Amino acid sequence: MAEKMFGKALKRVEDPRFITGTGNYTDDIAVHGMVHAAMVRSPYPHAKIKSIDSSAALALPGVIAILTGKDLVGAGINPIPTGWLLPDLKISAHHAIQPEEVNHVGDIVAAIIAETRAIAEDAVALVDVDYDVLESVSLGSTALAAGAVQVHPEAPGNLAFDWTIGDAAATDAEFAKADKIVKLELRNHRLVPNAIEPRASLAEYKRAGDEYTLHTTSQNPHIHRVMIGAFVMGIPEHKLRIVSPDVGGGFGSKIFQYPEEVIVLFAAKKVNRPVKWTARRSESFVSDAHGRDHETVAEAAVMNDGTLLALRVNTIANLGAYLTTFAPAVPTYLYGTLLNGTYKWKAIHAHVRGVYTNTVGVDAYRGAGRPEATYVVERIVSTVARELGMDPVDIRRKNFIQPSEFPYQTPVALQYDSGNYEPAMDMALEKLGYKALRAKQAEMRKQGKYIGIGVCTYLEACGLAPSALVGSLGAQAGQWESALVRVAATGVVEVLTGSHSHGQGHETAFAQVVADELQVPVEHVVLVHGDTARLPHGWGSYGSRSAPVGLSAITMACRKITDKAKKIAAHLLEASVEDMEHVDGKYQVKGVPERSKSFFEVALMAHLAHNYPADLEPGLEATHFYDPKNFVYPFGTHLAVVEVDADTGRTKLIRYVCVDDCGPIVNPLIVEGQVHGGVAQGMGQALLENTVYDASGQLVSGSYLEYTMPRADDMVQLEIGHTVTPSPHNPLGLKGIGEAGTIASTAAVANAVIDALEPFGVRHMDMPFTSEKVWQVIHASQLAQAADD
Amino acid sequence: MQLEGFNIIHATPEQVFVALQSPDMLAKCVPGVKKLEVESEGVFKTTLEVSVGPVKGSFSGKVSVLDAVLNTSLTLKVEMRAPVGIASAIGKIILEPQDAATKVHWSGEPQLGGMIASVGARLIGGVAKAQADIFFTKLEQELTSKA
Repeated sequence: MAEKMFGKALKRVEDPRFITGTGNYTDDIAVHGMVHAAMVRSPYPHAKIKSIDSSAALALPGVIAILTGKDLVGAGINPIPTGWLLPDLKISAHHAIQPEEVNHVGDIVAAIIAETRAIAEDAVALVDVDYDVLESVSLGSTALAAGAVQVHPEAPGNLAFDWTIGDAAATDAEFAKADKIVKLELRNHRLVPNAIEPRASLAEYKRAGDEYTLHTTSQNPHIHRVMIGAFVMGIPEHKLRIVSPDVGGGFGSKIFQYPEEVIVLFAAKKVNRPVKWTARRSESFVSDAHGRDHETVAEAAVMNDGTLLALRVNTIANLGAYLTTFAPAVPTYLYGTLLNGTYKWKAIHAHVRGVYTNTVGVDAYRGAGRPEATYVVERIVSTVARELGMDPVDIRRKNFIQPSEFPYQTPVALQYDSGNYEPAMDMALEKLGYKALRAKQAEMRKQGKYIGIGVCTYLEACGLAPSALVGSLGAQAGQWESALVRVAATGVVEVLTGSHSHGQGHETAFAQVVADELQVPVEHVVLVHGDTARLPHGWGSYGSRSAPVGLSAITMACRKITDKAKKIAAHLLEASVEDMEHVDGKYQVKGVPERSKSFFEVALMAHLAHNYPADLEPGLEATHFYDPKNFVYPFGTHLAVVEVDADTGRTKLIRYVCVDDCGPIVNPLIVEGQVHGGVAQGMGQALLENTVYDASGQLVSGSYLEYTMPRADDMVQLEIGHTVTPSPHNPLGLKGIGEAGTIASTAAVANAVIDALEPFGVRHMDMPFTSEKVWQVIHASQLAQAADD
Repeated sequence: MQLEGFNIIHATPEQVFVALQSPDMLAKCVPGVKKLEVESEGVFKTTLEVSVGPVKGSFSGKVSVLDAVLNTSLTLKVEMRAPVGIASAIGKIILEPQDAATKVHWSGEPQLGGMIASVGARLIGGVAKAQADIFFTKLEQELTSKA
């Protein structure tokens, strides 16, 4: 019997090339005759473009062309659309190059095409743009205030959308019954994605055939083809090939269709040379879509025994200057629907206003809406516990949805299909030694040492997405996934998947599943992804969809292969197909191992087809388009322990326990890696990272001098566990794990810090918990204490 | 961010007042000057090489002298542009006689925009102070060597 690959911690087959510098990233690609683009970006957050004098730049030897917004508009290039329409959404044109007005620092006003990157960048300095500087606004609530600066004429009062979910009257009724109402004002601050590989694009144009090829850093090349081809540039899809080769991290930021992609494609045709652009890190800060940026008021109606009745949430979501690809969906359907968490709220009502500001666009960033929702729910539940004098674990246990109650209809649209929350929480508590640590915490406080324990019992909805459902909610495309499994005559299995790996290890994990399904050696399975010319249409990777959706498509395609292989084998063995079984890599007559055909024999015969069933086509390949019936609902408990130095405010993570239930695990090593990265990112938000616009609308945290990324010594060795509750509706029961770490950890760490600061009377403070901020609250408390004494 | 400081120059306020408006003197003393020419009365066109922390750039623009009060004070309006962003400032200079020397008080609020704001805003105070020290040291050298 061949060794089962599902569940094995295989080392990632892609890693040797990544860590030895032999990966094939977009910027690694050089083609004959290639020239380079550099962008002239606005230094102002809001300004009219009065004139552009590019004569000095054009005179620089090596400069080939300079493109402005008027050139693109004049050539019929359309603005970049958003991919998700909400009712009455106010949309302002997002031009690849702004023809008239810039709306954030970093907005593109011209593009230089030159023989070398250095010349192009030198020429940027020579473009004389005369601006009429306008007042600007960068904070969501400021933009909504009466008399605020108007960002776009299309959106009066800067309101892009006004969206609600849940039953307001039912929520009011529960609030009227409540013993107690607990209110929190929460700022979920803005983050910069910071993928290790900056965005890059290389466009080639062939006059023969009028064909374009774009290599670009995309999580979803077909989405890029649809948007660029059908909407922005009007290129027929068979004449636009998008290749997304090795991609060094996305976290959502490489889902979106960006201006630079349009610019290099346009330029490649115009100058009839291949054109490459690669972002400088400082450009990434002002041009990659940012994440989060919510201002929220949340109120919980509760009973004195800890029963949670209702939740009322009012959120201002800063969308930045333009609506990027998923921007309208993230603070609405990926946020409001998640506010139920793991609890039995009787009613929930959420009101979200999406607001334009003179800042970089805000869109999906690892977790996309779900970390923001989890932060609201988990912070307020812990605050309720504290104000009722309950343990944060007890209040959760009391209000959990019970295993017998699934499928569970929440008050905010989702129907949870499965879950079992207590065992995951109990496993986490045991790993941590929760009770003993609480006792130790009390002892330490007496000695002037402050640790805090943060609890987060999260749930997320991922595996985007059931197409009919998201279509009814405004998605302009379904989110099924495709797979084409092609067996070569030699038995090598090529798997073409619409999922895209930009660090997730699909080449390894997907091959494990295929190896088991087809009973072939794992090294005979080759994954192909990221090329619209080779793949069936697919929708890429985001929203933790690759395992539950992409791998489901592959599994179903493999089963079609097996069915066909059985027919071929039955014919070769002169047996009935009903009598065939697939055992140990062979197709054999049931119970008669001597009468069998190997996978190789079947594959070869499928191609030679000299002796072949009359009712079958030759060849051995199968395509499957898989549309999920529902989201999948991973959940778990994360426990963070922080230590706060009262003298310096230094706040450090000292332990982290996470028990996740992502269903059956294909590759534990990869799952753990996803959890590690996710937790680091969520912890980074809670303790370190912050995106700061100053009063004049300048991004003043635009480099690693100012923007504090988590480093190895900010992390701890995670204590990881799993429970396994399969999804009831996909073939392998898989759920997603790509975002869970981020979704859970921000709230877990925040709850830990607030818990640590309880002796100083801190009920709530906003992230990030930098040493300075923490020291300020401790110091203020100590001064107040001294004044009382 | 409001910046201010002072430097002592061993020359008279009259000498300093003239020197501060002399294109030759400015060209010699302003750190990083590549080009400085008079555009009109009290307006200089200039190109400077400046580095703020990790950001280096060639800034081009205008410096205008406003509100000059003979031998006492003047205001400088600076508008500069570079590939790395924009910098502008209104700087006030007050000359105070102090024995045989002049105490030069300077103050201003630089506005940065674009990449230089995102990378260098926190460093600008230190950079401005260092540049002022270099400038006034050189100015004093020039004035005293002539004397």
